[in-house]
Amino acid sequence: MKKLMHQFSSLKNPFYKEKVLGVAKEKRRYDLPLTHSSNNTFLRLLIGLMSVLGVLALSASFALSAMTHRWSEGLDHKISVEIPAADSGGEIIAPGIVKSMTEEAAKMLNTREDVAEATIMEEKDVRELLSPWLGNDMVMDSIPIPGLISVTFDKNANPDLKDLELQLRDVAPRARIDTQENWLNDVVRFTGALQFTAILLGLIIGATTLVAVAGGVRSKLSENKEELELLHLMGASDSYIARQLQRHTLILSLQGGIAGVIAGCILLFIIGMVAGKMGVNLVPDFKLSEIQKAFLVISPIPIALLAMMTARFTVLRVLNKMP
Amino acid sequence: MIRYEHVGLRYGIGPEVLEDVNFTLEPGSFHFLSGPSGAGKTSLMSLLYIGRMPTRGLIRMFGQNIGEMNRDQLAALRQRIGVVFQDFRLLNHMSSFDNVALPLRIQGRPEKEIQNNVRELLDWVGLGDHKHALPNTLSGGQQQRVAIARAVITRPRLLLADEPTGNLDDEIGFRLMALFDQLNRMGTTVVIATHNQSIMDKFGHKRLILEKGRLRIEEPPRRGNLRQRLEGVY
Repeated sequence: MKKLMHQFSSLKNPFYKEKVLGVAKEKRRYDLPLTHSSNNTFLRLLIGLMSVLGVLALSASFALSAMTHRWSEGLDHKISVEIPAADSGGEIIAPGIVKSMTEEAAKMLNTREDVAEATIMEEKDVRELLSPWLGNDMVMDSIPIPGLISVTFDKNANPDLKDLELQLRDVAPRARIDTQENWLNDVVRFTGALQFTAILLGLIIGATTLVAVAGGVRSKLSENKEELELLHLMGASDSYIARQLQRHTLILSLQGGIAGVIAGCILLFIIGMVAGKMGVNLVPDFKLSEIQKAFLVISPIPIALLAMMTARFTVLRVLNKMP
Repeated sequence: MIRYEHVGLRYGIGPEVLEDVNFTLEPGSFHFLSGPSGAGKTSLMSLLYIGRMPTRGLIRMFGQNIGEMNRDQLAALRQRIGVVFQDFRLLNHMSSFDNVALPLRIQGRPEKEIQNNVRELLDWVGLGDHKHALPNTLSGGQQQRVAIARAVITRPRLLLADEPTGNLDDEIGFRLMALFDQLNRMGTTVVIATHNQSIMDKFGHKRLILEKGRLRIEEPPRRGNLRQRLEGVY
């Protein structure tokens, strides 16, 4: 009975279990007390945050690259022909004449072997094009509207545009060819600059991470200076000591990097969703290719490897000051 | 085995703390290192365990000039030296077992060998029941035994101990010295830095006396044999 009561009380009493103090509970992983260091969380968090920023910079660079590529590809082998609505003296040409000149020009273009397609832009398309300047309520009949022809050449065609323009002027004296090259070059240059900025930002983030890792390792070493010195005096080679810091930094970086990349991807998804809902067309499309996604997923590995090499370099420099 | 020729040591641009030190330690010899405080004992000990490099002179250890050795060779040389520090310098995040096993792990010995040797040595120094204990939960005497076990686990060719009896009462101090004596008889060269005159008198070994950075070697006074001198200790 007494025994039963004792067993019962031991089950009920949460403090019954005897605590074991002053005994090493964890399996030894490092000779230096690295796992209990206060700056582990700091380093993990820092690498995580830097990874978030890295993911954003990298995705922005990918998106801008895809956008430029799409634009260039979309306008490749395409020109537009404009039949102005006014003559050289500035006099308005009757809309009917403009229309017939446009039809003649389109007809002539479609007879050429190197032209895949020449289509006159519909009135609603022209209205849509002009609406940012003239508003949606414009009355088409009261405004002189130029004739516009969208021309697509064969993929292998290499047309002489100056000659083509002269031919067009036979049917429409003031016909003008617009290759979109000028504004496209400007846009490509602009997006290129943005892409370069994103890459530069990524590099700065990477460099900042490495400097912070080096600082973290340095502070860890000064925190454990006595232990470090003891290992050195016991005959531990520089690479033996460095290996411990390397492994520790690799694990911390992988933890921080993986968490950061996951957080970055979630953030990207949210940005994409919010931009989509707001109908912001200027925000580049964040749809990434499979290769780009794979690149993002494996990005913690090079980050961790770089952090590991930084740790090694830092430890060896500190140890080199010892005899 | 160890030869010092005109060795000097200076910190920064200060005066020389060791001046023109010359001595030879034969293999299997036992020496006390003594002298007043500030005479340079700690500095000489740090030169012996290659914690510092001399600012002048020649040091040959185990047949090699340490001034011509690279970092890896120096590390390998340090592995042949066991040191018992005055303040033990145990790693408080590790169990007694792991502290003692550390030099073997640094040498890359197989884990099975480490387990057997460390368990055996801890039993021998009477700490078999404390192998999982963290050093800061052990008494001063127990910590010292862990430090000694760590210093001798690799069977070093040179054993250095800095004031190993400093914090102990005479009886334990004598017992400890008897342990060093036993290791010496097994072939280890031993250098003990101590102030304790009675211990130096009891154990008749040569003395390296440091005074104002200069070293002289004294023969022990002849007073009976070791058995007579140690009577009462055991």
